[in-house]
Amino acid sequence: MIAPFTEFGLLGPRGALVAAFAIGIAFGACLERSGLGSARKLMGQFDLTDLAVFKVMFSAIVTAMLGLFWLSRLGLLDVQKVYLPDTFLLPQLLGGALFGVGFALAGLCPGTSCVAAATGRVDGVAVMLGMFAGVLATGAALPWLQRLYLATARGGLTLPRLLGMPEGVVILVVVGVALTAFGFTARIERRAAMSSRTSDNGV
Amino acid sequence: MGSDMLTLEKRLLAGAAAALSILAAANSIVNAHAEHYPGTTPSAVTPSAVSALAAEIEHEDDHVTAVELAQWIRQRKPGLRVLDVRSDPEYQAYHIPSAERLPLTALAALAPTDGETLVLYSEGGAHAAQGWVLLRASGHRRVYFLRGGLLDWMDDVMSPALPNDSSRATVAALSRYFGGVPRAGAVPLPTSSATAATAVARVRRRGC
Amino acid sequence: MTSTLAQPSAALLRDRPHARAAAPRPYADPYLTGFVLGLVLLAAFVLVGRGLGATGAFASVAATAVDAVSSRTAQHNGFFAERLTPDGIWREWLVVEIAGVFAGGWASAALAHRLHITVERGASLGVTQRLARAAGGGVVMGVGAVLARGCTSGQALTGGALLSVGSWLFMFGAFGAAYLAAWLMRSAWA
Repeated sequence: MIAPFTEFGLLGPRGALVAAFAIGIAFGACLERSGLGSARKLMGQFDLTDLAVFKVMFSAIVTAMLGLFWLSRLGLLDVQKVYLPDTFLLPQLLGGALFGVGFALAGLCPGTSCVAAATGRVDGVAVMLGMFAGVLATGAALPWLQRLYLATARGGLTLPRLLGMPEGVVILVVVGVALTAFGFTARIERRAAMSSRTSDNGV
Repeated sequence: MGSDMLTLEKRLLAGAAAALSILAAANSIVNAHAEHYPGTTPSAVTPSAVSALAAEIEHEDDHVTAVELAQWIRQRKPGLRVLDVRSDPEYQAYHIPSAERLPLTALAALAPTDGETLVLYSEGGAHAAQGWVLLRASGHRRVYFLRGGLLDWMDDVMSPALPNDSSRATVAALSRYFGGVPRAGAVPLPTSSATAATAVARVRRRGC
Repeated sequence: MTSTLAQPSAALLRDRPHARAAAPRPYADPYLTGFVLGLVLLAAFVLVGRGLGATGAFASVAATAVDAVSSRTAQHNGFFAERLTPDGIWREWLVVEIAGVFAGGWASAALAHRLHITVERGASLGVTQRLARAAGGGVVMGVGAVLARGCTSGQALTGGALLSVGSWLFMFGAFGAAYLAAWLMRSAWA
């Protein structure tokens, strides 16, 4: 096992920050190159005319997921030393729903809003400012939201453990669903583009 | 011609993903089978086994304190499973974060798994201690119970009296991590403590 | 196919002549870019044992801001206290990462001639309205992200790849609600 490098003494705190910047650059570049720094393009996800968000996100998830599994199996990466976010069933579902509403309203998510702002989009700046305010206010109000915030804590819970299924099987299902869905995206986008054109005529 | 190449690359990637995930499933199934295959058959409760267990109890290798358990949970100790042996209503009312409910009767059905560390707890510790004996007798290796049970958890983790030594910040940080409220006895909590904040910030998880 | 090209829908400033001379390059294929993004995420796991994120950077900055105004308030509040960076904000991993996101986004757009000052909006929405919705949406996302311990970068991407139950719940909640909300607001991007 040699990875994560920081956990095996191959990368110190300063190196971790250098890595942070490099990784951030790559992250921002990927988002911008795929057009996700544009609210117009992002919103195409929701009228189904442009499923770039889904394609980018799930291609990334599938890649990283398979990478994690195989690096671990090959004895290179100790997955136990990778930070796994805690699971809080209710706050994360509820927070997710709230987040989704905000996302639809803003047309950008926190990460893409930074890319948008960096490329000159003032609406990106607005989203960033709103995000900052929302985080600040919620953080300040957290003492009163403690019960909800800490409800339904499940610790580090993964799908394989929850479902009692071997990890590789869960991965197979996720990849299978993703690839199948990818196969349908072209059709869905075409259908949606046609119907939006006809409804324009109608209106 | 450019788009043809793109399609080829994508087909290759999709094929690779499919192949790697099929192999992953196969690999997992094979290993899972090996994991649950008992390497050592569960020991019958022979006289020598009983005295071995008795020795462990005497040497106090059988339990953990509330603070130790709290640290294990917080540090995401690999293979840790916290088991609550109380009734369902009690569990629903409050349980230690990350704990699963597993009544004593179901303990017998629990198969030993490699790499797992089990920690049982109950209200005061008695039932959990009894569960400890059951699990150890049926072949589980790393089993502990929470000494003092949930009562100790409340006292030592959720509302600990802050010691006046160097461990003060750690105890406070640990308590806050679980949503607890440290007490400072009759003395009101200091409203600002640079060292406490530093300690808390330093041990913060690598979140997003 | 106008959605695949970056079009300034309403420039706030007068059009700069040279912006017309270099046509914006088309966006890259989303699958391939997603694959690369997955490798970046994997690199993060391998190098530093954590994934990508954005919300945490906002939270750290918020904590520092609160601390600057009232140190007492910051220390008293568990959320902020945990996110204070006594060694300086630039020691916080996510803050440095987000700085990288800015730089990378800018560089990518510059190379592809996609930099312009603009307000992206649907034709039916005025600039002020659009900016108000953007800010409002940001606020709501901020609330949701704090409750959920992350956003699409940290929870959906990172937690998704790690198969964390809470992260997948977040994903379903977010996209479910987003589709519903977007449908209700569909006239905004017409």
